Amino acid sequence: MAMPVPQRNNEGFLENADEWSPSVAINIAAESEILLTGKHWEIIELLRQFYKQYEISPPSNRLFVKAVKEQLGEIKGNSIYLMQLFPGTPAKTACRIAGLPRPTNCL
Amino acid sequence: MPTLHIINKAPDHPRFPACLRALAEDDTLVLIENAVMALVFESLPLPPCYALRADVNARALSESSVTGVKMIGYAGLVVLTETHQRVMNW
Amino acid sequence: MHTLIVIDRLPYGDWHGREALDMAFSLAAFDRPVTLLFRGAGVNWLRPGQSADQLSQKSVERNLSAATIFGVSALLADKAALRQYRLSSDQLSQSASETDLTPAFYKQFDAVVVL
Repeated sequence: MAMPVPQRNNEGFLENADEWSPSVAINIAAESEILLTGKHWEIIELLRQFYKQYEISPPSNRLFVKAVKEQLGEIKGNSIYLMQLFPGTPAKTACRIAGLPRPTNCL
Repeated sequence: MPTLHIINKAPDHPRFPACLRALAEDDTLVLIENAVMALVFESLPLPPCYALRADVNARALSESSVTGVKMIGYAGLVVLTETHQRVMNW
Repeated sequence: MHTLIVIDRLPYGDWHGREALDMAFSLAAFDRPVTLLFRGAGVNWLRPGQSADQLSQKSVERNLSAATIFGVSALLADKAALRQYRLSSDQLSQSASETDLTPAFYKQFDAVVVL
């Protein structure tokens, strides 16, 4: 089945955050063999809201963790929890799936 | 020959007063980019002119209307460049 | 060690301010105390109601509102410049507070960065 994924850059981030939809998220996640659960969706929703309000992606992993901690507390706002959900560089992986631009300071 | 002057420098840039001095009676002045700050810059006497709406909105200056300053869009700017034979960019 | 990062240029005209903001966010990410000062033309970053989508840019006002979440200690505005650009201190976005830029003011900080 053809995957509905809008235009993306060379690192797989959407060119336009408005073209995101949950099915886009499922397809992008599948590329990294991530099956989205309720825990993932909670973070994705948080990132979508964050972007709507501040018009930036959390610029680095540490600030991603801070933003999650601010909203959901320390149990979820810590790097191990987020690393388990979004392997690799969690801020990058999560922003890619949530349709946000690439975090500026994630190498 | 009426000239269209397009300035993008901030009002405290040296080129701003130079541009105002260069304006002839029948010339037209358009403020774009940083130059739209002239709408709020203290004690700056602005002649009748245009300001680019997108730049005014970005900087939250749309409430700061100044008598004699009209808002134009990109299309309006294109019309101005078409109706003036000479354009000077500042 | 408390760092003061100064933004002294107009928003949307160039990228210096965004770079400075990025630097402030990076210090905050590592829990380093950091204060942002909007000086001179930079006070226009704090004008409420910005809408930059027609410029295909993101609103610096929105970006700036993430500062406290990320842990930036304070946002300060140059009192003299507010008057110069017809801004009143009670209308500033992000509840930035006005300050007199005396020599003593700068002495509160261990490092002052201006891009």
